[in-house]
Amino acid sequence: MEHVQLVGLAIIVSILIGVPLGVYLTTNEYLAESVLQIFSIIMTIPSIALFGVMIPILSTIGQGIGFLPAFIALVLYSQLPIIRNTYTGINEVDPNIRDAAKGLGMTTLQRLIKVEIPNAMPLIMAGVRTATVLNIGVGAIAAYIGAGGLGSLINQGISRSNTTMVLVGAVVVSILAIVVDQLLRYFEKRFTPKGI
Amino acid sequence: MLEFKNVSKIYNGNKKAVDHVNFNVDEGELVVLLGPSGCGKTTLLRMVNQLESITEGDIHLNNKSVKESNKIEMRRKIGYVIQSNGLFPNMTIEKNVMIVPDLLGWDRKKQLDRFNYLMELIGLHPDEYRKRYPHELSGGQQQRVGVARALAADPPVMLMDEPFGALDPIIRTKIQDEFLQIQKEIKKTILFVSHDIDEAVKMGDKIALFRDGQLQQYNHPFEILHRPANEFVSEFVGQDRVLKSTSLYSVKDLVDSVSLTGYQKAGSVQTVQEDTSLRIVISKLLNQEAEQLAVEDTKGKIKGILTLDLVEKFLYKQIKETPKRTG
Ligand SMILES: Nc1ncnc2c1ncn2[C@@H]1O[C@H](COP(=O)(O)OP(=O)(O)O)[C@@H](O)[C@H]1O
Ligand SMILES: [Mg+2]
Repeated sequence: MEHVQLVGLAIIVSILIGVPLGVYLTTNEYLAESVLQIFSIIMTIPSIALFGVMIPILSTIGQGIGFLPAFIALVLYSQLPIIRNTYTGINEVDPNIRDAAKGLGMTTLQRLIKVEIPNAMPLIMAGVRTATVLNIGVGAIAAYIGAGGLGSLINQGISRSNTTMVLVGAVVVSILAIVVDQLLRYFEKRFTPKGI
Repeated sequence: MLEFKNVSKIYNGNKKAVDHVNFNVDEGELVVLLGPSGCGKTTLLRMVNQLESITEGDIHLNNKSVKESNKIEMRRKIGYVIQSNGLFPNMTIEKNVMIVPDLLGWDRKKQLDRFNYLMELIGLHPDEYRKRYPHELSGGQQQRVGVARALAADPPVMLMDEPFGALDPIIRTKIQDEFLQIQKEIKKTILFVSHDIDEAVKMGDKIALFRDGQLQQYNHPFEILHRPANEFVSEFVGQDRVLKSTSLYSVKDLVDSVSLTGYQKAGSVQTVQEDTSLRIVISKLLNQEAEQLAVEDTKGKIKGILTLDLVEKFLYKQIKETPKRTG
């Protein structure tokens, strides 16, 4: 299914960018503020407007409509929840725990991998979940720029004044969002170390 | 073993937390860093393992400046215990305890043996706790595990920052006793932070008493209690310093120094063991639980009768006759 493919791929790439970036920002408070601000602003751009901006830019490489602009938009929207939750999660690890890790002789990287990321896991996963649900919604709008998926069903319904089609599209999008959210909740439990 | 040479710490260019501190700690000694909150104990401790930088002066560990040592390697050779235990919530007890051996690359078998040994040492059953997580343990158990973790790679030096400070009084007393027992076996060089004079007297081979970052007196607990170096020290140890000093002695010390009253088999009389602290003896006598106590040796044989008069005589003798010791 196009919709699931689009959202799934966008989330994977978003995690690969957002988590390391969030982790890095914990070492640079100054930069952190600016980066979070930028992605907050991106969040406020309506998705239609964002697509509109991308069409002329991407047209220069012949990808003005279709998969690529939709994909980029989804990745951009995902960054705020993922980066912010990673950043907050790591920063909020109990300072005593961090101090103990340091005092026992862990290197910065060992601390991150063995202590900080595992303890920040619930928040990081919550960020991923928010981003995913958000992307399922935005992904439907991407049909306007020809990215296919469930959005096209709704689009066609609207242009043909076919209420049933619109409803079916909307309901399926909602169900997809709910199912994926539950699935991610399950993964969140699985990936969160037992002791937390 | 551990030498503080004119050590000072200035935070943010103005706050002087540690002020020209000089003293040495011998191998196998437990030194208590004592003083009111904010006097710089934690700062001094954290300069040893370089969690804080040294503004001025130097600290030598085994004749080597800690400033010049590789921080990571050095910390793995220094046990570190903090008040809030700092156990990693995401790791099992076994993983927590074995963290340093793991970093050092010990093999599985060696780690297993060490874990079992350490858990026995702190009085927790290895197999019962191996797979548990810190939050499933009581505060006292967590603190014991914190001690085991610090001891894991058998470091010669331990830094302990108010390790039992967050525990309720009954558990605290118990863990203090246990730890003294452990220390008898392991003989580590230990810096132990406390703000509690009673704890310091009980735990310390020596006490370093601080005020506003400055070392006021560094000596055996007996000297601190009976020969305070200045007004501040005598105020800090309190009016009841003679009473406090009683926890330095056991019944055996008294028996060795003054002769007990003879014992006649007449009626029932409460008994005390030779290893009982004199402090407990006094409180029993003063509580009117008994006017006299029969001293029992390890074989259960009664050696004689102990009364308040004898305790008084003993303490007087200690204060007058003990030669002055220096730190
Ligand atoms: N990171 C820090 N930055 C600035 N001042 C500090 C810092 N840590 C401690 N201090 C100050 O240094 C003094 C000594 O603190 P500390 O060593 O924690 O004392 P103690 O452990 O004896 O209570 C206190 O006045 C405290 O406010
Ligand atoms: Mg302190």
